[in-house]
Amino acid sequence: MREVAIDVPVEPPKELESLFLPVPKEYVEEAYKKDEFLVLVGPQHSGSGHMRLIVRVKGDVIQEVIPDPGYVHRAIEKLAENRLYIQNIPLVERPAIMDSANLNLGYVRAIEDAMEIEVPDRAKYLRTILAELCRIGTHLYDAAILSVFLGHTTGFMYPFGIRELICEALVKMTGARFTSSFIIPGGVRRDVEKETLAWIYSATFAIERRLKSFERIFIKNPTVIARLKEVGVLSKKEAIEFGVVGPFLRASGVEYDARKVEPYEAYDRVDWDIVVADEGDSYSRLLVRANEIGQSLKIIRQCITDIPEGKVISDQICEGNDIRGEFFDKLADIVLPTGEYTTITEAGRGSVIFTIVSDGESNVPYRLRIVTPGWLYLRGFVESLKGERLADLQAIYGSFGYFPPEADR
Amino acid sequence: MEMLDALMQIFKSNMLEIPAIQPIVDPLMQIPWLNLLVALLLWRPFFAIVVMPGLLVLMICLLYIIWFERKLTARIQWRVGPLEVFRPLRGAIQALADGLRYFFQESIVHKEAHRPYFVQLPILAFIPVLLPIAFIPAGNVVGIKTPYAIPLIVAFLSLIPITVVAIGWASNSRFAFIGSVREALMYVAYEIPFIIAVISMIYLYGSADPYVAVEKQSIPGALLNPVAFLVFIISMLMATSRLPFEIPEADQEIAFGPFVEYSGMLFGLVMVLAYEKLYIMSLLFTILFLGGWSGPQLAILGDLNAPLWLVIKTLIVISVLVIVRSMYARFRIDQALRIGFSWLLAFAIIALAIGVVLGYEGGI
Repeated sequence: MREVAIDVPVEPPKELESLFLPVPKEYVEEAYKKDEFLVLVGPQHSGSGHMRLIVRVKGDVIQEVIPDPGYVHRAIEKLAENRLYIQNIPLVERPAIMDSANLNLGYVRAIEDAMEIEVPDRAKYLRTILAELCRIGTHLYDAAILSVFLGHTTGFMYPFGIRELICEALVKMTGARFTSSFIIPGGVRRDVEKETLAWIYSATFAIERRLKSFERIFIKNPTVIARLKEVGVLSKKEAIEFGVVGPFLRASGVEYDARKVEPYEAYDRVDWDIVVADEGDSYSRLLVRANEIGQSLKIIRQCITDIPEGKVISDQICEGNDIRGEFFDKLADIVLPTGEYTTITEAGRGSVIFTIVSDGESNVPYRLRIVTPGWLYLRGFVESLKGERLADLQAIYGSFGYFPPEADR
Repeated sequence: MEMLDALMQIFKSNMLEIPAIQPIVDPLMQIPWLNLLVALLLWRPFFAIVVMPGLLVLMICLLYIIWFERKLTARIQWRVGPLEVFRPLRGAIQALADGLRYFFQESIVHKEAHRPYFVQLPILAFIPVLLPIAFIPAGNVVGIKTPYAIPLIVAFLSLIPITVVAIGWASNSRFAFIGSVREALMYVAYEIPFIIAVISMIYLYGSADPYVAVEKQSIPGALLNPVAFLVFIISMLMATSRLPFEIPEADQEIAFGPFVEYSGMLFGLVMVLAYEKLYIMSLLFTILFLGGWSGPQLAILGDLNAPLWLVIKTLIVISVLVIVRSMYARFRIDQALRIGFSWLLAFAIIALAIGVVLGYEGGI
């Protein structure tokens, strides 16, 4: 295509200086001299949470994207240094409330690693069910946000309708819709009744049936395919280089899942597959997550059928099977031995890394490091925007399910 | 007095004959002064423009279509939709309540706007929307009877996007600007196939007169030329910026596009613009493809049969069209343009060929 350029002197707008952009003034001037301009997407926008994308566009085509995250930074790592180990459990769930059980699990496993606590089998199965329910919730939430970005309101309502079943299951199991803080060092807070597990078992079929109608109206919709296919492509090599994690790495053809590589809880005892796609475009990222919901349902069903009887809290923590009433007596004064303990957990949006550094004498962590998946795949996300159209920004943003509160922590 | 008599004569010479309401009309016609009003109301041109299928039905149609669209979308999406405004009718006057709210809200005119144009363009936009009503016939109830009614309606419809682009320009905001550029691009994409589809039907019937078109539809036009039917429906979706072609007003991308700066009553006016356009296009669609006002005649309704059938068919068309809102995602602008210029145009030309072949030697 022949490019036509008109030599019109353009001055960078004055307001760009007063917006506290994290880019130097020369960059703005250079962009404007080159017949390009900067579009600021955010910090307030129709996505989930606040973040700014500084998009350098030439006409309608994106040349470069500079992310400006940190608008929902809550200093969770710093806050954790002033709280007891068990008081941090509700805190570390907060970055991604949809995904609370997985973040909770990562933190608790680091404590268990340090104290060498053996978790009873029944608790492991219950934790797996909880983690998978939260994973389904996260994937549905992201699919809903993606559909509303594409202007598909039915695709927004269906996953949120299905998610109510997940909420209900979590309420029946833990007593809270989200952020239940149900997983504690040594097991779970209390045993779950047989009837509740039977209810969740039948709910998985209800979810599956409703997912079929979501698939019909959104995933297989020709307009959705037209918007997502071959948009925001990350090749296998790029995805590895940029450090993309989770379903987005698997959508680029890399078969990596922390649940398979370093199995924790009951993941090595149930039969499930890693979902992989080769294209690495926005559509395959949606498909991978949609199919992961199916795998999660499979895991939940197996866990419910295979769940052994027994205690739900370790003998090292509590003699009885119920920690209620003596929770603070048993857990408030735990002190980890000196050292650095790291766990990798596969959360809904990818690997979440928890590192606890303990000085061996205080009952608060010396340092808690959380690396959430959102932060890890931000680079891959902004790189995949290059060369796409400005209208595709929403589609790619939604296909990554980028969740600023999770990334900013 | 003589002038009033003359007026009365004009009205009486062209009055609707509805046997069902004749017992009421006859005594009313005996009362002086009031009979003039009754005669005016039942005068065919006045009735066509102001009552049916004109302004009154247009307003009822707006109420109905906004409510029905919201209710249908809600039902598809496992929700309830508008309900509380008027429970006995399941929230049917929700649009009226919204309209009242707009009416009493402050209309903000921002500093950057080109004030005179910004304020008067929403009102000016109603001229091309409402003028076609004068030419749309319903049997022998017609405002201005002309054999060129169909080309005239198409011409007025083509004027609407110009007002929308002007609205975007007068708003002087970057979202409004992008929105009006998108509107202009979409306009070029759908207008040509749309006009070709209409021309193919004119060829088919051998005349641009709606009366001839309706007369010749012993088989509905939709079956005679299904390709033109398809092209017309898709360009209708594009023209009224409904999903999947809701590109000029994309909420998530450019925040209602050209109309982003409007508030209060002015917003209420520009918001219903697309719905009114949809109503006019559906009327044209009914006349061209669905046999217009022909249908089983009830003797008791007399002259009212024709407008009633036209409006019923139009409402059915609109009700079917609103379902796309809950079914499709939004196309990108380049995809929509590609659709408009490649296969929509190709299908329009095929439709034209069908029309020319079938309508050879003075129409079917």
